[in-house]
Parts: sequence; structure tokens; C-alpha cells
Amino acid sequence: MNNKIRPAEKIYMAIIFLFMYAPIVTLIVLSFNKSKSRAKWGGFTFQWYLNLVHDSEVLNAMANTLIIALIATIVSTLIGTAASVALTGMKRRTRSLIMGVTNIPMINADIVTGISLMLLFKILHFDAGFVTVLIAHITFNIPYVMLSVLPRMKTISPAVYEAALDLGAEPFFAFRKTILPDLTPAIISGALMAFTMSIDDFIITYFTKGSGFDTLSTKIYSEVKRGIRPEIYALSAIIFVVVLVLLLLSDRMKVRGSKIADRARNAGNVKLKRIGIAVAISAASIAIILMALAFGGVFTKKSTQVFVYNAGEYIDPEVIELFQEETGIEVVYDEFESNEIMYAKVAADGAAYDILCPSDYMIAKLIDNDMLMKLDWSAIPNAKKYIGEQYYQSATAFDPANEYAVPYCWGTVGILYNKEMVQEPVTSWNVLWDPKYRGEILMQDSIRDAFMVALARRGYSINSTDPAEIDTATQDLIEQAPLVQAYVIDQVRDKMIGDEAALGVIYSGEAIYTKRENENLEYVIPDEGSNVWIDGWCVTREARNADNALKWIDFLCRPEIALMNFEYITYSTPNIAAQEMIEDEDIRNSKVAFPDDETLSRCDTYISLGEEGDRLYNEAWKKVKSAN
Amino acid sequence: MSKMFRDRRKAGAVASPYFAWALIFILVPLAMILWYGLTDDSGAFTLVHIAAIAQPEHMKALLLALELAIISTVICFLLAYPLGMILAKNKMSSAGIITTIFILPMWMNFLLRTFSWMTLLENHGVINGVLEFLHLPTIHVINTPGAIVIGMVYNFLPFMIMPIYNSLAKIDENVINAARDLGANSVQTFLRVTLPLTVPGIISGVTMVFIPALTTFAISTMLGGSKILLIGNVIEQEFTLTYDWHLGSGLSIVLMIFIVVNMIVSAISEKKDE
Amino acid sequence: MSKELITLSHISKSFDGQLILDDLNLVIHENEFVTLLGPSGCGKTTTLRIIGGFETPDQGKVIFDGMDITALAPNKRQLNTVFQKYALFTHMDIADNIAFGLRIKNKSDQYIKDKISYALKLVNLEGYEHRMPDSLSGGQQQRIAIARAIVNEPKVLLLDEPLGALDLKLRQDMQYELIRLKRELGITFIYVTHDQEEALTMSDHIVVMNQGYIQQEGSPEDIYNEPENAFVADFIGDSNIISATMVKDELVRILGTEFPCVDKGFGEEKPVDVVIRPEDVELVPRGQGRISGVVSHIIFKGVHYEMEVQAGGFEWLVHSTKESPVGTEVDIRVDPFNIQVMNKPASEDEQALGVEDV
Repeated sequence: MNNKIRPAEKIYMAIIFLFMYAPIVTLIVLSFNKSKSRAKWGGFTFQWYLNLVHDSEVLNAMANTLIIALIATIVSTLIGTAASVALTGMKRRTRSLIMGVTNIPMINADIVTGISLMLLFKILHFDAGFVTVLIAHITFNIPYVMLSVLPRMKTISPAVYEAALDLGAEPFFAFRKTILPDLTPAIISGALMAFTMSIDDFIITYFTKGSGFDTLSTKIYSEVKRGIRPEIYALSAIIFVVVLVLLLLSDRMKVRGSKIADRARNAGNVKLKRIGIAVAISAASIAIILMALAFGGVFTKKSTQVFVYNAGEYIDPEVIELFQEETGIEVVYDEFESNEIMYAKVAADGAAYDILCPSDYMIAKLIDNDMLMKLDWSAIPNAKKYIGEQYYQSATAFDPANEYAVPYCWGTVGILYNKEMVQEPVTSWNVLWDPKYRGEILMQDSIRDAFMVALARRGYSINSTDPAEIDTATQDLIEQAPLVQAYVIDQVRDKMIGDEAALGVIYSGEAIYTKRENENLEYVIPDEGSNVWIDGWCVTREARNADNALKWIDFLCRPEIALMNFEYITYSTPNIAAQEMIEDEDIRNSKVAFPDDETLSRCDTYISLGEEGDRLYNEAWKKVKSAN
Repeated sequence: MSKMFRDRRKAGAVASPYFAWALIFILVPLAMILWYGLTDDSGAFTLVHIAAIAQPEHMKALLLALELAIISTVICFLLAYPLGMILAKNKMSSAGIITTIFILPMWMNFLLRTFSWMTLLENHGVINGVLEFLHLPTIHVINTPGAIVIGMVYNFLPFMIMPIYNSLAKIDENVINAARDLGANSVQTFLRVTLPLTVPGIISGVTMVFIPALTTFAISTMLGGSKILLIGNVIEQEFTLTYDWHLGSGLSIVLMIFIVVNMIVSAISEKKDE
Repeated sequence: MSKELITLSHISKSFDGQLILDDLNLVIHENEFVTLLGPSGCGKTTTLRIIGGFETPDQGKVIFDGMDITALAPNKRQLNTVFQKYALFTHMDIADNIAFGLRIKNKSDQYIKDKISYALKLVNLEGYEHRMPDSLSGGQQQRIAIARAIVNEPKVLLLDEPLGALDLKLRQDMQYELIRLKRELGITFIYVTHDQEEALTMSDHIVVMNQGYIQQEGSPEDIYNEPENAFVADFIGDSNIISATMVKDELVRILGTEFPCVDKGFGEEKPVDVVIRPEDVELVPRGQGRISGVVSHIIFKGVHYEMEVQAGGFEWLVHSTKESPVGTEVDIRVDPFNIQVMNKPASEDEQALGVEDV
């Protein structure tokens, strides 16, 4: 046949290549983007690469990923190889039965495997974390090793092995000298496959990981909803380039190896094999060096810790550093995407976190379900000293005796709109039902906020538990669904900055930041009223490090720390002392950050709906989401 | 080979770590799902969690997931087969081109790659930017099922190409020549010889694309704007949001039925192949 | 001589800039058993593939039965091929394999059924209809490959080293089988092999090829007895090939000694090669031959002894039924009819072309 590649074939391959690599090029470009928002090119920078060096969170996740992958690969290679060797010595029926079981993790859906292991660990009261993820990875890696080793094993004649035994060799020695060398390439390729799968896994890790433990995958997933930190692009670009270089090097070596092989036929094979092993070893050692560089908290867990569970992008990372430096307490920091997800996690394992930062209604729910600890106010003097009395007053709506929560941030929910795309004045939630804006509307992917919009629009209480009202709101939301471009959380920010949508429901705290990035954006609280919310720090009832948790709260209540946070996250602070320290006059007097009393009078706080109310809302929300 | 371990018990000893592992971490967890899916809070046997699949919102998610998974699988197949033929025809070693094209991207995290499609596909994203520059009509695909299909095809295409390429590369060139020699034109040769000889590869490719596509939740969350719920999203939310393990397990059992059907189909074809 | 069936005229073909065939001209007659013989890389397989239509020549024409088929697709040619390693369709049973070509041609079921049983009978594999190819031995698979080709009633059967994968005993059986088939079918066979014994056994006509050129063609006897150059002589059977000088007609100087021969027309004092077959070297007692030497090596080969004799600075290979122990001092005598004089290769190019088999 003609061995030349036809032009049509070249074009076809080029298209596939483009398809496979366009996203990767995009990510690498983004790693040099000065703007934190992926929707905007803000100029060229190396900043994210430099930041990476002290971004302990990302580096920890990276180290976890590599350590898990490495250990899982080694263990699964050992177990899988031993099993493959032994299996060939078994009855055919036993063998196919066992292979059937082995194939399950490969053929089964990852989500089912992940959930099944999660259920097992929960029942056994296994603390989810490093060990559980490792077990899960070993479990799904073994089949890859066996599927590589078993076929090779079948082709190996036992004659040499038997000859070695015949000559008096010990069985293991004989195995090592006769079978193993033939098996090595299959073992290596199985191990490499396992390693790659381990690195790339998300779903199974997601279900089996516990609090305070993240691999790169789960870290990224929790960040996806609110926009990924550019440092992660930088890290991925580095990994990608390292692997690319390794591949090219090993390819070169193979070419050279085959030339040697041509010259000396017999010796060549051995040399080729040796070069293959050399490449594998050097790859492994580079991985280990990377790990050593990135080495974080996995093995160096300090005795004094505090497990913090906060909303995403809701603190200045430097504050965490400062706290750790000053107190010597290690902060194990996790982020949640919504109050509901946080609740599910804490309900499953009350001791997973010491301190949480839920919103008002969720605090009420946690109190109702006896999941919080009464605060020892004497241990947190700053809380009473600097946080404005009016905020404690508001907090009584969900924490009647001010026993459980210290306000952290507060704000309103409103509409962010793009002046270029929306010509009319926006004064009502009705604009979100205007067919003119089909596909230009971003709704919040959170039950309470979505229903708040619908309920407020009808003039109902935003805390309504009246089934008829909820039903009307549900119908309204279903009617609205075709107009909605997406239900998102913090992504509203990036999408609005990037002119992806005309209108979005957003928290007031984001308004300052988005306006800074795209001056066409305007924030408004509709006339029908809205939600005013307070997020507060609470200590879980089962907290194992309650003292450290209180130190954490007290630290955050310091005016200069509260100010740092405010400037970083731009959410309004209830810390009066900090408010007074804001330098930028526009912001200090901003109606968006600190709305006037008239506006606030139109707004309500959320209160807990109770179990029945939650159920009603959950059911209704599912209907809305599946209405498309 | 049976002589390798003259003593079966010794073979059992070497394999025992694996047996223990498989029992505790493969079979027992599956039993847990069955148990949770078939009981209620009080531990009594019930089928309501299985029957819950008939609820309109669940059924809708399942049907949509099936539809998108089938479309993605078909597209993957249509893209992968010609590519496999080009690679096999030109004797491009699996170590070279294939690794570069398909294994290398795997080292860039799966979620990041998918996330990157968001930037590419958005209304003011990279692709539309290019189209605008070329004065071509722009596309509105982000947050639609179309975007989810793109994400699925992108992520699972390698799993279709590899088995198809392997089965194509295994065909002796002379077998194709023989068909031509015996009077078959190129279409007849493809339909009667090439295609049937690659059926095992196609089946394993289809399995490896269809199952993850059917059960994904990350891709639909990211590229569907959380607007489009697939069965994977529903199950995920039962565990992470509404926290109903029984319902989540029940729906997982329904999902497993599809997987089992798929396993049986591929087992039958494998047997035929032997 | 019978009718010309296939004519290759001025065929050239190169791969990746390497010339595999260079201006090849070949005529194949109807009903002949033609063997293309040569070492790997000589271009024989490429020639066969050009005839079969699997390669298109860069230059030149392929004429089949008076028609130019150079650009014709393989499926439109009235010839069939038996491939190296059989190339059976592993996903079909034996009957379907054999029926493949007939089904393409939309023959009736009854016709196909008859043809299958006819073909299986012809290759002595009756009753194998529903076996799968993988369950057959190599020899059986080869017979099926032949059956699959001949049911299409080709005018020419192309065989590409069909016996290469079989062991020696089976190979010999199959050689007789092929001769029988050829006789029963009465069609042209074009056979490619690098095994000179196979070629000599089966062929009516042998084409010896090397490095893209035809070195010599003719009947097996011609090729064996009168090789035209050192390559052919060396490739076909064992030979003593010695540089010599043609003194004049019918007299050649070998290793400094003049030998009478029967060849003429080479000119005077012209360098030539001579070929003397080992069985044509006679060992006679000292004083009775032309060159004196000593037996340096002897092995018993069954029908004859194989000896090496050091004489005149050359190591002569000698086959004889008479044993001469190592160290025996002997003289060498050669009958003038048994000295084959050949021209030295005209240019060194032919040797220098380092072509690979394709």
C-alpha cells in the first residue's frame, strides 16, 4: 500500500490535534493572564508562577496527588502482579470468576464505585482522608495492572522456571530470575497506566476524601464554581511541560537505543529495555523531587490544628498565614460552594470541622439540630469589642440569644446588570422574566437565593413555607428557566465581567470587585425587596479543637485583619473599627457595600425553614432544575 | 502454566492479598449500595428508591443522560474510526503519535481541561472571537446540551481511539489485500472484512465511552451551567446536597443495571471472538 | 511455445527514493509455472505485487492478455493471490472464506456450495466447511488460502512465498501438491520464493532476480547448468566461482593453470569468472590432473562426501562418492564441458545498490 500520508488525512489529524490541544493551549495562555478573571485578558505576567512557591494550599493538593498516585501505583502493582502470577496457576473457572470481579471497578461507573466506597468507609467509621483516598485509588488501579500483566503472563512458558527449580533454585529466586524479566515491560506499562489514571481521577476521590484533604482534582472542582485561581493554571502548565519534556527525552533515547540495537543486534534488546527502565526511574525520581519541593502537610501534621470550613474565596489567604505564624496552630482549610453542601458534610460527620462560616438561615438550622457549640465569649474579646451592635441585633433573627455566631460578613442580594446590554432602568425582579433577555440571565445555583428572587417578585415573604406560594414560585422559576443562561454561584462574577450575560443575581460583596474589572456593571437592589444576609462564624458541637477555633474567631475580629479581608474579598464587614479604617472614601461611603437604612428596610434575613420547609424547597428546586 | 504452582494452595497464598482486597473493597461496597438502595431509614426492605427513577425529574435526567451519552458515543466512534485507520495505515506506532495526542493531555487535570472548554465555548469566548474575526456567524453553545456533548467527546475520545486503533493495527495488511484480490471493492472490503475484524475493539471502545458519559456529573455541571441535570448530577446531589443515601443508592442501582447490560453484551462478543 | 499472457515492460519502482525495480522486462506465457527467485530485497515480491495490483509502478506497463492493466484495481484483475502467512479472514469459517470472492460476484447459492466442496476436495480438506481458520494447522490454512483463490477461476494464480511458514516435511509435501494442482487446473502459476530448491523442483521457468534486475531466466536445467553470472551461479546450488582469464577461444587460465573449455567469443586475455559445480571436480592421484592440492576437510553427506581441497591458493568444494581422507595429496581434473565461463559483471553498480526487501 501507499505509505504516504494523503493531504486529507493530514488535515483530519490536524483537526483532531487542534481539538485535543485547544483547551490545553488556552490554559497555558491563562496562566500568563494578569487578570484574575479568566474572561478578560489583563496583560502578560509571571506572577502566578511566582505566587505558586508560597501557595501552600495548591502545593499541598499537588503533593497529595503525587503521593497518593505513587503509593497507590506501587501497592497496586505489587498486589496486581502477584495476583496475575497466581491466577495463571488456577482453574479456568476460578480464574474467570476472579477476573469478572476484577473488571468491576473498570467497567462500573466511577460515581458508583466512589459512592460504594464512601458508604463502606462511613459504616466502618473510617475517618475519610488520605487513607481512604489511597485505598480507593489502589482499588481502581489494580485492574489496570492485572490487565497489563495477565496477558503477558499467559505467553510465558514455565519451562525456564521449572528448569531453574530443577537446578535447585528457591521458588522466589527462580521466579525473579526467569519469569520476572519477561514480565517487566508489562508491569511497567501497567504501573504507568495506573499512575496516570490516579493522577487524573476526580470522581472517586471526590466521594472518598474527607475534610481538609484535597487532591489537585478535588481542589479544582471546588474552585470551578467560583473561578479557578490562576496559580492552578500555572502549576498545571508546569506539570504539562515537564511531562512533555520527559516524553520527548525518552523518545530520543529510544531512537538512540534502536540505533545501538541495529549495530549490535543481540545486545540491543537488553539495552533498549535498560533504557526504558532508566526513563521510568528518572521520571519517578523527578516526580519525587517535585514532591519534595512541594512537600506540605501530609506527613508533618502538627499536633495543634484547627479545621476550618468556609465559603469559597471568602478570606485573604495571607490572613491564614498570619494566624498560623502568630499562633503556631495549623489551619486545615476547606471551602464549600453552598450552605446546603456544607450542611450535608457536617451532618454526615459532626467532628470533621471545628469551625464553620454558614449564612443566617443555615445557622438557625444548625442550632435547631443541635450541631453547634455555645461560644465562650470571654475567650473572644474582640468579637464584642469591634463588631457593631446592630449586627448582633440583626443576628437575633437566627441566633436569638447571640449564643452561637459571630458575624463575619454581611450584604444584600441584588441584580448586577450590564449598562451596555440593558438600556432600561432596572428596578424590579421582573426584569429577570423579560423574554428580551433570553439567554442573557444568570441565576444563583442555590435554593434559597433562587426562591428568594421568585418569592420577593410576587411580594411573598422570602421565608414563605406556604405550599401554595412555593408552588407559584416554582411555576415562575420553571417559566423563567428557558430564559436562564446558567445557574451558577460565584461564576456570575467572571461571566458578567466577560460580557457573557446581561443580568445576574449576585451578592453585594461581588459588586465592588466586578465594577473594578468592568465599569459597565451596575448593582441594584430591586424595589420589591431582597435578602439581607449575615454570615457568621460558629463552632461545631463536636469540635475537637474548640479552643483553637475561638482563637481563630478572635483573630479575625481584629480590625486590621478584618480590613485585610474586606479589601481582599470586598464583602461588607460588620467590624465597625475596620469600616472606619477604609482608606478609599468612595468605598467607605458606598451604598453597595454599606446600604442605607431605607434600602435595608426593604430587605429581610433568611430564617430556617424547618425540616418540612426544606423538603418542600428541595423538591421544588429539583423540579425547576429538570424543567429545561 | 498450571505446573507453575504445583500446589494450588501456594497459588492461593500468593493471590490472597488480592482476594481479600477485592472482597472488602469491591464486593462489600457494592453490597452496601444494594443494601442502602433497597431499605428505608428504619432498615425495612423497600423498592421505593428504585421506583423513584420513574419520577418525572429523575426519568428526565436519565433519558437526557442516555441521549447525550449515545450521541457522544456515536460521535466518538465516527471521529475515532477514520483516525484509527489513518494511524494504522501509516504504521504510526502507538508509543509515538498516540501517546502524544491522547495520553499527554491527561496530565493536564481532567477538570481543568473541561473548564477550559468554558473559556473556548462562551458567547464571547475564544472560538466566537475567532469566528467574529473571520466574519463568520458565532455559535451559542455554552450551557446547552451541545456543550456537554463536546465535553464528553473531548474527554472520552481517547478511550474510543485506543481499542479501535489496536484492533485495526492487528489486521494483517495482506488480509485486506486478499479481499481486494478476491474482487471486493474498497467499500465491500471495509464492510465485510475491516469492520467485522474490529468489532471487539469497537465494543470495548463503546463501553469505555458510553458508561462514563452516561454517569458523568462534572462535565454537565461545568459546561451545562448547572441548568441541565443528568442522572449523575441527581445522584451526586443526593449524596452531597439533599443527603438522602437511600435514594442515591437506589438510583445508583438503576444505573448499574445499564452497566450490567453493557458488561453482558461485551462478554458475549468476547466469547464469540474467542 | 504457448501464448504470451503477461508482459511487464520497462517497469521501475522505488520506495522512499530507493530503487527497487529498474527497467524490468518480463514475459510470462500461458499455462506456465513461473518462479521469481532471488534473495530478499531483490524485487521479486514487488514484481508480484505489481502484477497483483497492490503496487503501481512508477514507470512502465503491465499488459495482461493484450490489455493494459497497469492502473487497474486489484479487484478488477483476472488473477488471484495466495499470500504469505495465508491472510485468511479469521472472523469467517472456512466455507465463508472460500465463498468470499464468489459472493462478491453474486453467484448463486448452489454454485457457491458446489464450488466450496469442489475446492475442499481439491486441497484434500473435505468436511472442514464449518471450522474456523484459527483451529487449523499452518499447512491446512495454506490449502484453504489456495482453495479460496482458485474457486474464482483465475487465469493466473500468484503465490507469494506460500510455503515459507511451513516446516520442511510439510513444505516438500506441499511442493508436490502445488505441482498436481497446477496440472489439474491448467492455469498459470507465478511463484515467488527465495528457496532455490523449491524453484528447481516446481518450475517450468525460473526468473532469477537480484537488486531490482533480472539476472537470468530459463528452464531449471539452463539456470543450474549454465549460470550466466557469478550471482546466479552462487545463488543456485553450491559452486566454485573463480576469477580467471580467457586466454583464447576454448582455453581458460584458472589459478595460473590453463584448462581447455568449450566456450568461445570472449576475446583474448580477457578477465572472466568460471563456475565449476562441486560434483564436476574430479579428484585424481598426483600427477594425473592439472592442479595439485591437499584435502583439508571432509564430511559424509549420505549420497556423497563433501570435501574441501586446497589447490592453487583456492579452496575447492568437491562432491564425490569416493572418500579421500584429510591430508590426502590429490590432483584436480575438470572436464572441459563442465567449465562454465561467464563475463565479469559489467558495472559495479548492480552490486552496489543496497536495496531492501519491500
